[in-house]
Amino acid sequence: MDEEYDAIVLGTGLKECILSGMLSVSGKKVLHIDRNKYYGGESASITPLEELFTQFGLPAPDESYGRGREWNVDLIPKFLMANGQLVKLLIHTGVTRYLEFKSVEGSYVYKGGKISKVPVDEREALASDLMGMFEKRRFKNFLVYVQDFKEDDPKTWKDIDPQTTTMGQVYEKFGLDRNTQDFTGHALALYRDDDYLKHNALQTIRRIKLYSDSLARYGKSPYLYPMYGLGELPQGFARLSAIYGGTYMLDKPVDEIVMENGKVVGVRSGNETAKCKQVFCDPSYVPDRVKKTGQVIRCICLMDHPVPGTRDALSTQIIIPQKQVNRKSDIYVSLVSYTHQVSAKGWFIAMVSTTVETANPEAEIKPGIDLLGPIKQKFVRISEYMEPTDDGVESQIFISKSYDATTHFETTCLDVLDIFRRGTGEDFDFSKVKHDLGDEEQ
Amino acid sequence: MASVKIPEQKVILCGEYGVGKSSLFRRYTANTFVTSTDRQSTLGLDHFDKTYKVEDKVIKLQLWDTGGMERVASITSSYYKFSEAAILVFALDNPASFHVLSQHLLDVVTYAENAKIFLCGNKSDLLPTSRNGSSALDSSSHVTDADVETFCEQCHNLVSATYRTSCRTGEGVEEMFADIARRLVQSNRSRMELQSVDRDSFKIVPPEEATEPSCLC
Repeated sequence: MDEEYDAIVLGTGLKECILSGMLSVSGKKVLHIDRNKYYGGESASITPLEELFTQFGLPAPDESYGRGREWNVDLIPKFLMANGQLVKLLIHTGVTRYLEFKSVEGSYVYKGGKISKVPVDEREALASDLMGMFEKRRFKNFLVYVQDFKEDDPKTWKDIDPQTTTMGQVYEKFGLDRNTQDFTGHALALYRDDDYLKHNALQTIRRIKLYSDSLARYGKSPYLYPMYGLGELPQGFARLSAIYGGTYMLDKPVDEIVMENGKVVGVRSGNETAKCKQVFCDPSYVPDRVKKTGQVIRCICLMDHPVPGTRDALSTQIIIPQKQVNRKSDIYVSLVSYTHQVSAKGWFIAMVSTTVETANPEAEIKPGIDLLGPIKQKFVRISEYMEPTDDGVESQIFISKSYDATTHFETTCLDVLDIFRRGTGEDFDFSKVKHDLGDEEQ
Repeated sequence: MASVKIPEQKVILCGEYGVGKSSLFRRYTANTFVTSTDRQSTLGLDHFDKTYKVEDKVIKLQLWDTGGMERVASITSSYYKFSEAAILVFALDNPASFHVLSQHLLDVVTYAENAKIFLCGNKSDLLPTSRNGSSALDSSSHVTDADVETFCEQCHNLVSATYRTSCRTGEGVEEMFADIARRLVQSNRSRMELQSVDRDSFKIVPPEEATEPSCLC
């Protein structure tokens, strides 16, 4: 360990592993340390099942849960947008070759106490009970507008300047009612709250395009989920980093981040100190350099059946827009199952999550829990949402934000790309990844 | 003629740091050998496809190297996923690298339940004058055939076959991969159809240039 590195990365969560991979690929000498003896930190998929019960202080699961080894339970639920940032990162870095995915079977939205399928094509849209007849026509006009909209071609803007017009005004222009706005903003544009109505329309249009482009990739829904759980993602990027020369150390306590004149110069573990020019880490390694800006509640539910009303889907997402349940932020439900090798045959893992708004967070997720039907075992966890207190340029300690309540990886990737930019002074150059990396044939 | 996809079989290399996994990988990919003084680490090696013909069948072996992660940390569990075969490599002149294989075997069995397991004693060139079988070698400084036999018995015949190679001379390397290909074809004959039904997961590929404009409505 007593060597000198360009960068030391602390924690093997997804963000840190992507950063480690990008730094190694860029030619930096990287040391990557985790205090745990497994890869993934918060982004790990817990296995075997006994380990999950232990982590939550519960007695061991009975034999009805099958073999513990067959379970890989995520602590933070997320799906990949098929055309989103993470997929782009996977493709450009070649990490995609380490993973296999399944398309999430259905996406649902909550309206007036029950759930409806988010339509994926015109036939489903016509049959949908989300809107009345006339509203459907107005909504269709809106979607056609978004579809034809090109940022670099003002002719397609049709008298709406996307920079100065708010999204609320655009809805008004198309005459969309409250319910349709809810559905569009939260189930398609995937906003967590209604602040976007006051912001310019461009952001929302981009998000709706991301949704429909993602949907076009694999058809059933815009979401993908990796076989064996989300914990495979950090591992894939860790391998990328290792292949480009990154050194890995697990089960290594981090005792001190050594500073000199306000700048980081090394990391100490016991009596060993590794020298470095920069540190990249998650908030848990630097409690004195982060501040709490919120809380997220996540409830893992083990069940032996799919979610009622989802046509027995083996994977699904349900969005409960905040207004539907008089909240300020949405409640998310996600479901994966044995078909993804994350549970024993016949078992399902649902996760209900939201940004905490009250002193009684468990009551806040009730509308989501109520949709699930009988639950065999619940694991509730409330996580602090931490952010760095500064941008790290002075100390050269670059800290990632905690994982937020969003159901996909878009904000995760934005944070990573931003940290990379702050740390290296430039955007990540994807062309540095050699695509022939052992991929050629004989 | 309709193009038939050649079945791809992921084969992983396991074993201690320094036993010659990357050397096996290099022999397999380019039939070259680099001496330890010219070599730093496992930089840049990921995996490599090679097609073998076994009687009337064609099979594609996809050999994976560890990426050197075992140097200080452990290998990620995802390395083992989807593998059809694992080659447990040890150095014939290093008994410690052999005795630790039970740990590597446990990892393979845990994370790649269905993988066939092979045992490879590398660095046969470092054994003193091993003309035929070399059963008379001193077992404190070398791994003997008897040691290998005992190991295979102890792990309940989980090991499908054992090999002896030298990456320096190239001896036995190509023969080993050809034999593994043959054994995979044999064991797959009955399994192949079952598998293609079961695996509906996919790998992400870059989108084609002109994707159909999508519409939600």
